[in-house]
Amino acid sequence: MKNTSADAPRPARGTGGSGSTGTGNGARLRARRRWTSADLSLIAVFAALTAVFSILPGVPLGAGVPITLQTLAVMLTGMLLGPGRGAAAVGLFLLAGLAGLPVFSGFRGGPGVLAGPSAGYLLSFPVAAAVVGLLAGLVLRRTRRDRTVLLFAAALATSFAVVHPAGIAGLMLNGHLSFPAALAVDMAFWPGDVIKNLLAAVVAVSVFKAFPSMASPVRRSR
Amino acid sequence: MRRSAGAGDLLGAYRPGTSSMHAAPLGLKAGVLVVLSVAVLALRSPVLLALAAVLVLTAYAAAGLLRESWVPLRLMWPVLVLLGVFQWWASGVEAAVMVTGNIAVCVTAARLLTLTTAPQELLDGLVSLARPLRPLGADPERFGLTLALMLRSIPFLLGSARDVRESAMARGLERNPRALTVPVVIRAVAYARQTGDALAARGIGERSETKVAKGNR
Repeated sequence: MKNTSADAPRPARGTGGSGSTGTGNGARLRARRRWTSADLSLIAVFAALTAVFSILPGVPLGAGVPITLQTLAVMLTGMLLGPGRGAAAVGLFLLAGLAGLPVFSGFRGGPGVLAGPSAGYLLSFPVAAAVVGLLAGLVLRRTRRDRTVLLFAAALATSFAVVHPAGIAGLMLNGHLSFPAALAVDMAFWPGDVIKNLLAAVVAVSVFKAFPSMASPVRRSR
Repeated sequence: MRRSAGAGDLLGAYRPGTSSMHAAPLGLKAGVLVVLSVAVLALRSPVLLALAAVLVLTAYAAAGLLRESWVPLRLMWPVLVLLGVFQWWASGVEAAVMVTGNIAVCVTAARLLTLTTAPQELLDGLVSLARPLRPLGADPERFGLTLALMLRSIPFLLGSARDVRESAMARGLERNPRALTVPVVIRAVAYARQTGDALAARGIGERSETKVAKGNR
């Protein structure tokens, strides 16, 4: 396709959100389980965005697990696409990486990462996208004010309830570290993680302002 | 073999060749890899680890890629040294060798699969994994389409991230994380919408029921 300019005019029905999904409640319920080509396209592009944020140079820290914008992309994908499409996008990124595309941080890829110490973090990402998508949905439905703070809280809660426990489990299993040692390695990521979650919330709010339909519950429930 | 310049660079691990390792079917290679890795990681036996190491090196030699076998180690050695030293200190030499050896063997073996299989074949293999899941509602065609869309979005997004970084630098904002990320994500959403509309206009990626419904209206 030749349309690569991001500044090209948006289609007229682009902001409508529910334009093609039918009018009645029944139609909406059925549409819930079926992704349109617009949904597939968002899933694909956010899987690619997660890959790009993982590849772009990051800061190496801790026991060889480099800090990149990877987790930022995961949280952002969940917040912007909602639980279903968000988990699908991050899952697609993970599958492509496991199949051998060098899309993980440090241009790594292939099933070998499952044997490495960062396996727990990687495998937790689709779950994290789903959880943060659910929490962000609650925030978006309830309030228009303080969205940045609440989305930050949602991302932080997800990070500490999903990503870090899985990461610690991966370090213990693959690295044969004891719990205190794995926790110590994991704690090296905490400061960076807080900053990235905050940034994810800020970016998400900007995107919701630019594309208000992305915050509408009808679209997000797909 | 290269889909486009950007994607070609990204899929760069593949080393074309005519060896038996290259010719072996993907399913066989993947199967052996999974069995080997699970056995090594689950049984934790030094004898098995040594056997697996010999087997992996033999496979590299058979593929004519013996020089490539140490590349994963070159990338991972800081992690392995840290882990090894910690294990040595915490539980002795044998644990150190086993833990680092297991990781090294599994990662090296996995890399041989990506070295000897064309990226397109790997991706087709991935899509074919969805085929048995069809009764559960999986749709291999739409899965393949989404995967292909993802691949062709990566060069665009990499270029977009580079542009945004350059314009942020021009404004002296290269240290401002907001200025570096927000435009990239907004462009990504706009790009996804364009692509989605282009697909919908051509009737690609919609399920057949939707098409029928549209036709009836």
